[in-house]
Amino acid sequence: MKKTLFAAASVGACLFAAAPAANAQSVYYGALEQMFGEPVTTSATGSPQRSTEVPVNMDIISAADIKRSGATDLPTILSRVAGVDLLQAGAAGADVGIRGYNQGMSPRLLVLINGRQVYLDHYGYTAWATLPVQLEEIRQIEVVKGPNSALFGFNAVSGVVNIITYSPQYDDIKVATVRAGTGGHAEASLVDTFHLGNRFSGRFSAGAAQMDEWKNTAGVAAYSLQDPARVSANLDTVTQLNAKTELRVEGSWSNVLVSDLNSGNSYSPTKYVTSSIKAGVASDTRFGAAEVSAYQNKLSAKSRAGDQAIPYDNKITVVSARDLFKLGAKHTFRVGAEYRHNQSHTQPITGGTISYDVLAVSGMWNWAVTDQLTTTVAVRHDTLDLERKGTFPTQYVLTDNANWDRTIKETSYNLGVVYRPSNFDTLRLTAARGVQVPTLVDLGSTQLKVVTPSFTLGIVGNPFLKPAIVTNYELGYDRVLPSLNAKLGVAVFAQKTVDIKGQPTLRAPDYLPTATTIMLASFRNVGDSKMKGVELKASGQFAGGYHWSGDYTWTDVDDEPPAGVTLASLATRSAAFSKTTPAYRGNVAFGRENQKWSVDGFLHYVSDFDGYSSAGTFVPVKGYVTLAGRIARQFDKDFTVALSGQNLLKARQTQMVGLEAERRVYLTLSKSW
Amino acid sequence: MSNRNNRSAVALCALVLAAAPLSARADMAKDVQIAGRALTFLENGPTGKIVLGVVFDPSKPASVAEKNAVVAAIGGGMSAGAVTLMARPVEASAVPGLSGVGALYVTTGVNVAAAAKAKKLITIGSDTACATSGACVMSVSSEPKVEIVVNRAAAAAVGAVFKAAFRMMIREV
Repeated sequence: MKKTLFAAASVGACLFAAAPAANAQSVYYGALEQMFGEPVTTSATGSPQRSTEVPVNMDIISAADIKRSGATDLPTILSRVAGVDLLQAGAAGADVGIRGYNQGMSPRLLVLINGRQVYLDHYGYTAWATLPVQLEEIRQIEVVKGPNSALFGFNAVSGVVNIITYSPQYDDIKVATVRAGTGGHAEASLVDTFHLGNRFSGRFSAGAAQMDEWKNTAGVAAYSLQDPARVSANLDTVTQLNAKTELRVEGSWSNVLVSDLNSGNSYSPTKYVTSSIKAGVASDTRFGAAEVSAYQNKLSAKSRAGDQAIPYDNKITVVSARDLFKLGAKHTFRVGAEYRHNQSHTQPITGGTISYDVLAVSGMWNWAVTDQLTTTVAVRHDTLDLERKGTFPTQYVLTDNANWDRTIKETSYNLGVVYRPSNFDTLRLTAARGVQVPTLVDLGSTQLKVVTPSFTLGIVGNPFLKPAIVTNYELGYDRVLPSLNAKLGVAVFAQKTVDIKGQPTLRAPDYLPTATTIMLASFRNVGDSKMKGVELKASGQFAGGYHWSGDYTWTDVDDEPPAGVTLASLATRSAAFSKTTPAYRGNVAFGRENQKWSVDGFLHYVSDFDGYSSAGTFVPVKGYVTLAGRIARQFDKDFTVALSGQNLLKARQTQMVGLEAERRVYLTLSKSW
Repeated sequence: MSNRNNRSAVALCALVLAAAPLSARADMAKDVQIAGRALTFLENGPTGKIVLGVVFDPSKPASVAEKNAVVAAIGGGMSAGAVTLMARPVEASAVPGLSGVGALYVTTGVNVAAAAKAKKLITIGSDTACATSGACVMSVSSEPKVEIVVNRAAAAAVGAVFKAAFRMMIREV
């Protein structure tokens, strides 16, 4: 699996040999990809670019890669990208990190579908099973490594995953899939693009899956686990208003049951219901490619802490406008503005409402200095106004809403220089500053009291929590080897995170009990952390339909807690990343494909690391290797039968602290028309 | 050099000589197809069948050879995204009186910029110099990497306006 100068172009060419005219204003990935012979992306600067020319470290997973992966979920597919870390907590629960710093409910990764954020904003993490997208409708997954806040805003600090679906307007995708597997796996999905007249196009998708949770061999409290299940649907429509303007309206819904590993390193049986509606108008104007869009994401979640149910409702509204234009022959600019409103009522102890408004302005300048040298400067400034209304629980601290009258102002940047001394060599130097803003939960939307016979502990937000700032410097070199039909890449990088967020902990409460208040724990900044590393990757093809890829990434994380704070005390706040980040991870993939058969195998390696017990102590996890594979037979009339499997080396394998990963095997039948 | 080495060298040369025309034709086909796809990024660009006039100078053997290669590559029709290209050989001297073509493919060493401007016809060449000099509106080449160069002045002269996304991904001069 992997990046795919070759496969993406060839599959795209086969699927869309009779592509329609590119007469709309949104980026028509298919036509551009076919013309340039490589994937096209807008996730680096906001401007359409060839994947080999972007001023960031980016891997693009193509539709062909996804199909050949044999995977049934996005985290598994992402884990085969160089430098990506996966904590697979269960059959459906997972957290994805880039170059370390992964944890339960990891808040450092921005995940989007067609530019709409799908991570859960109230706590900054991605519940992957809630994403309302079927694997069969994905054109490509763009994985940016390192901060990209200057384009996408808050949370894009360790990286960005932007999932691009097939266009309702240009692509013709009709596929039905059913899948059954060990572990009680049953799944069905449908993707259908359609046209009504010449001006209206749509893409409808829906899917449902259920499976048994991995066997509880780890002594997890039984009430903390549940068998995962998900149902989701999505409708994406494009109306061509005139020759230069289109209206795109999307709506989605998902209903999910999953055993989550929460940020306190405990399992929680969580139910999520998400919905979204988005509308955007894009137009090719005399002033450039202009776009205005607005969307609203709604979340209703119910998780569990101990014996308490914790409901959570969150609503975020985002309105943005941008213009992309070229001045002269060598200068491309993007200017943009964004407003977002994020709100949540306090839960499970009600009475308060926390919200913030963000106003952001951004700009990008791409200068083709010469045919070989390009520079990019992107800057974004965010102003966040925080507010709290309502009442407070009894026996709490910080019981004055004025504490939340706070403004956070932060500037993000992405700087890049790309030098191409020949058609085969690319040198890339980048510097970036990203901002991880405190979430609504951090700021106090979770108000919780845990009462035991021996103590009472409350969770209280910290309205004074600072944003974590991530700066990243990287030098990359890519080399195409035409004679071998291969390419190589190497990157060295150094990163620093200032004001890392630590979790609330019973072992070091932030507020000791007094005559009038209970013991309270809160979120706290726990110092800084440095990371450096090297990434190596290679991929290619050779005669007979063979393809291969390999990557290896080394990272070294060095935590810098405040004076007097030990690594053990960082562990109680789930912030000892030097211990919990594996030093090495890598992948090897090999496969062959012809008109009828497709065979692929994937080896994945992770070196030793430590996890946390639910008591906040270190638990060593031995390095491991996994094997996955898929064999598929293509029959007439676009009917495909595939046998695939994950974790094939062992029936059960320890891959993190928690449930053991299970071998699972799937039989998939799919029909396109 | 031993006889065995001689035989190997001769065989290798024969293979190279035999493969070269095929390779050149394959590259030409790629170039033409990229040109066809690029045309779909014109505002109010063509769809369906489009006749591509292949402009050559009969006094220049290289021009004639290139014309022959392009015509052979297109054959009875070449699908390129939203368009199907049809080839029509056109002598350079015939361009001023030309009708019924959607665009011109200009073989190397031929300059019909003035006549094309008068006819408001977009001109495409496979030689980058054709675009950089203004003799063509656009040049396309597929090897070793796809490169598209558009001459802004020449495009403006024939009233050709490319879509914003396309302009941001190509080299303009």
